[in-house]
Amino acid sequence: MNLTELKKKCAWLRREAFEMVVRSKKGHYPSSSSCVEMVVALFYGGFMKYNAQNPKDPARDRIFISKGHAGMVLYPILEDLGFVPKGELLKFTKPDGKFRFYPDPTIPGIEAITGSLGHGMGIAAGHCLAAKRDGKNIRSFVIIGDGECYEGSTWETAMFAAHHHLDNYVVVIDRNQCIIMDHTEKCVKLDPMAEKWKAFGFHTIEINGNSIEEVTKALAEATSGKIKGPVAIVANTVKGKGVSYMENRPDWHNKMPNDEQIATARKELEAVAA
Amino acid sequence: MSDKAEKPKILPRDAFIDEVFLAAKKNPNIYFITIDLGAKALDRFRVELPNQLIHAGISEQNAMDVAAGLAQSGKIVYAYAMAPFVTLRCYEQIKVAIASMFLPVTIIGNGVGYSYNDAGPTHYATEDLSCMRALGGIEILTASDTETVLQTAHLTYTKPALRYVRLDRAFLPDIYPSGDKRFMQDGIVEIESGKDACIIASGIATHIAKDVKKILAEQGHNVAIIDAFRIKPIDGAVLKRVLNPYSKIITLEEHFLSGGMGGAIVEAMADAQILKPVKRIGVRDQYFLENGGRGYIQGLAGVDAKSAAKTAAEFLK
Repeated sequence: MNLTELKKKCAWLRREAFEMVVRSKKGHYPSSSSCVEMVVALFYGGFMKYNAQNPKDPARDRIFISKGHAGMVLYPILEDLGFVPKGELLKFTKPDGKFRFYPDPTIPGIEAITGSLGHGMGIAAGHCLAAKRDGKNIRSFVIIGDGECYEGSTWETAMFAAHHHLDNYVVVIDRNQCIIMDHTEKCVKLDPMAEKWKAFGFHTIEINGNSIEEVTKALAEATSGKIKGPVAIVANTVKGKGVSYMENRPDWHNKMPNDEQIATARKELEAVAA
Repeated sequence: MSDKAEKPKILPRDAFIDEVFLAAKKNPNIYFITIDLGAKALDRFRVELPNQLIHAGISEQNAMDVAAGLAQSGKIVYAYAMAPFVTLRCYEQIKVAIASMFLPVTIIGNGVGYSYNDAGPTHYATEDLSCMRALGGIEILTASDTETVLQTAHLTYTKPALRYVRLDRAFLPDIYPSGDKRFMQDGIVEIESGKDACIIASGIATHIAKDVKKILAEQGHNVAIIDAFRIKPIDGAVLKRVLNPYSKIITLEEHFLSGGMGGAIVEAMADAQILKPVKRIGVRDQYFLENGGRGYIQGLAGVDAKSAAKTAAEFLK
């Protein structure tokens, strides 16, 4: 897809994610919304190998939404691309549906259980190390929240990935500055973020993560095959992107909008899509 | 079973790793993760199979998540460290990344109980069993001699599953003859017969129980010794059969009583409607900072042969 089409897909995905939350009264729109450009670029921008007909195809690249509360951001894509039959999205969190509140590997296209922070990177490192030792050309993309950088396991695995020169390993830090109770820098400082990843031995690219142009450029660099070790993309994003009253507002982490707020959000999301 | 693994004067960890090493030589999909715990047997593994040995760093959490990723990639995975670290330090990783995804990883805890004597509570594993028992879908095996170690190692690569293998740090004298199938089949095995009462124990405590038996014999009590090799799951029917001859049951463990081996036995007895008087003997409910060797600490904790025999004799009065 070209950039215009990718932008349209982003607008579509935000609307779908919002409607999922409205329908089921479950899910996390703001955290999902901040990483929309990244997942759209991965699936529709040609940066990731997948096989919708055989989701466990051994040759596939892996994607981990390690910030599991945003795992739902993949569901509209997985339905759109045919990983699951049409109509599954309407059954989000229903007992007869495939898409669960938090992702798990029984869902076609999902690699791991996430929801507790700090696991996706390590699991992905296992996949990448196995692939390298087996001589297989498989890459893992791991989207972690900036709040995930508080977890010690994040840095344990960062050291491990750098030591093993995992050049098939791309970590995206969704730097939306928000955790449940407040902004990260008001709780416990995370900055300087990019410097931390550089110091840990990652080829680090810092971008506006809500700019499809910058996201595709960063992914092109990360997957160029010219980088000798793991890559970190520090994606500066806006939590709640697309819905004005949610943007950059930590308190909207898992709050449900009322009828009036739903109408406002729909208007805003549709305006972008148009 | 490999006939090359040395027997009998071999540390549990060396016996285990040697057995896995010989299998790994034939199967490149066997991966062994160490969290900075060495072993004589690991030196050979490291040199000859560097591609199958992973040093995770002193990073237990990373080790477990990486183990999950390797297992998802079709590898037969071992994660090995001192027992307190490979369990409690990465407990949630084991729960989420391994147990919740039903992945067949073998977790090897070396040095259970007071194995690392005098090192203090940081190095003691007197709650590892309770913690690991609480996880869903895990099998727990405590080796009490070289034969149990070797057969356990063999099991882990022939039938991979989520298992926690508890090894003592010390050499443990032989209990079972080569090729004995009873402990693998039944999980709970009578190793010395008795009359009215039995002592159920596992790992090093099985050997302590043998000494307890001698002390009790001097006082006119003839107790049987039962080795609880597999503490999760416990087969209620087997337990019923094994306990049938005995009117009183004693359990002995170098571990806290809360959720420990004795607790597991009592729960299984209740579920199987085996209603008999039970006395659980385990580590006194506190941590010990004192030094003086394993026997001394066991004495403070109330689980050395002398203390255990005293408690048992009271119960058998």
